[in-house]
Amino acid sequence: MMRILVGTEKGAYLLSESGSDWQVEGPMFPGWKVTAFGQTTGGTHVAGVASNWFGVGVHHSENVVDWKPSDSPPTWPEGSERKMEQIWTFHNEGDRLLAGVAQAGLFSSDDGGMTWEPVTGLNEHRTREDWYPGAGGLCAHRILSGNGSMWVGISAVGVFRSDDDGATWVPKNDGVPSVDTAEGGERPEVGYCVHGLAHDPAQPSHLWRQDHQGVFRSTDGGDSWERIEEGLPAGFGFVIWRHPGTGRLLTIPLESSENRVPVNGKLNAYSSDDDGVTWSVSGSGWSDAPQFTGVLRRAFDGDGDGGFCFGTSGGKLWLTRDVGETWQELTASFPRIAAVRIVA
Amino acid sequence: MSVTVRIPRVLSQAVTTGLRHEAAGETLRAVLEDLFTREPGLENHLLDEDGKVRPHVLIFVDAARADLETPVGPSSEIQVLQAVSGG
Repeated sequence: MMRILVGTEKGAYLLSESGSDWQVEGPMFPGWKVTAFGQTTGGTHVAGVASNWFGVGVHHSENVVDWKPSDSPPTWPEGSERKMEQIWTFHNEGDRLLAGVAQAGLFSSDDGGMTWEPVTGLNEHRTREDWYPGAGGLCAHRILSGNGSMWVGISAVGVFRSDDDGATWVPKNDGVPSVDTAEGGERPEVGYCVHGLAHDPAQPSHLWRQDHQGVFRSTDGGDSWERIEEGLPAGFGFVIWRHPGTGRLLTIPLESSENRVPVNGKLNAYSSDDDGVTWSVSGSGWSDAPQFTGVLRRAFDGDGDGGFCFGTSGGKLWLTRDVGETWQELTASFPRIAAVRIVA
Repeated sequence: MSVTVRIPRVLSQAVTTGLRHEAAGETLRAVLEDLFTREPGLENHLLDEDGKVRPHVLIFVDAARADLETPVGPSSEIQVLQAVSGG
């Protein structure tokens, strides 16, 4: 039976499948934004929470119901002008747990998320003075790793790659338009608003990117990017996901940067079975009713069995169990959904 | 001599022993530092990266708004208030 953790603007909820229905537990973390979920290599679940007034927190759980706080969540050093606003993502790299945060930075934990050290090679990058936020803030929101490399997506800065265990990082955005450069102008090193990243774990250098400026892919670890939008109603969006078994890609287009809702209110995921060359509406089960809502960049999760779930800024959840052949909208409604995790 | 420190319910998840605490010190800073030794999860939520009280977090000593250097008497009561802005 499937379980789904949902992190929202006002607390977290646990959905547990019960026959043909879902039981909802929560809110957990009442009064807090719940912005990220993860799991240590030892199996302990972690959650990132944030408050506009009380900073951020990291909590741990063995059963995703009873949570205990870490005494030492990621924090910028004393004297830093940066503020710790939100944890955007967790990622396992070997035995380490990494956290991407806003204001943008990467932190590493060797003790399952109890204590954290900054990844200075990225956080103090020589381009740092030129990092600027997008509408979602200045955030490191996506981490990938494989074959000795790591990639981090930072808005509105771009994708960085490290080939030396995080010691040094190189911007990897060639082929993607920046957000503030006129056509024909000199390309800046940073200023690229990546929204989402996915890759093929068997070929980690094969990357897909949902960017502010469209959908792109790379077959060389991010050294170069090409636009792949044939069949999509719009290039804008936040979600990109690749099913590890079939290689099917999913994305959820939104109309534009200025109008971040589905085109004509038609909420659909789009899928591609040819590495993003062509796209079409994913499966069946979509509502015919207008759905003027959005899907935020960490508000989705997929598992290796074909399960994929995304939450909307209107507080609804959509689920497929067969890699997008059929979809269902769950009946429960929640506050604005920021994070989703399918719990094994 | 210990004084009482009350914290808002929204911070209940950051502590181990409820919303009413006892701590010792002659200034608000000293009382909080003593409290943090037993409830380390509170520090990050009350103080920012520079050790200052977070913006929009209000702390009162004997019903008067306080800063970290405010003196605390032997029978003082300290209350951390939950921010009330937001939607």
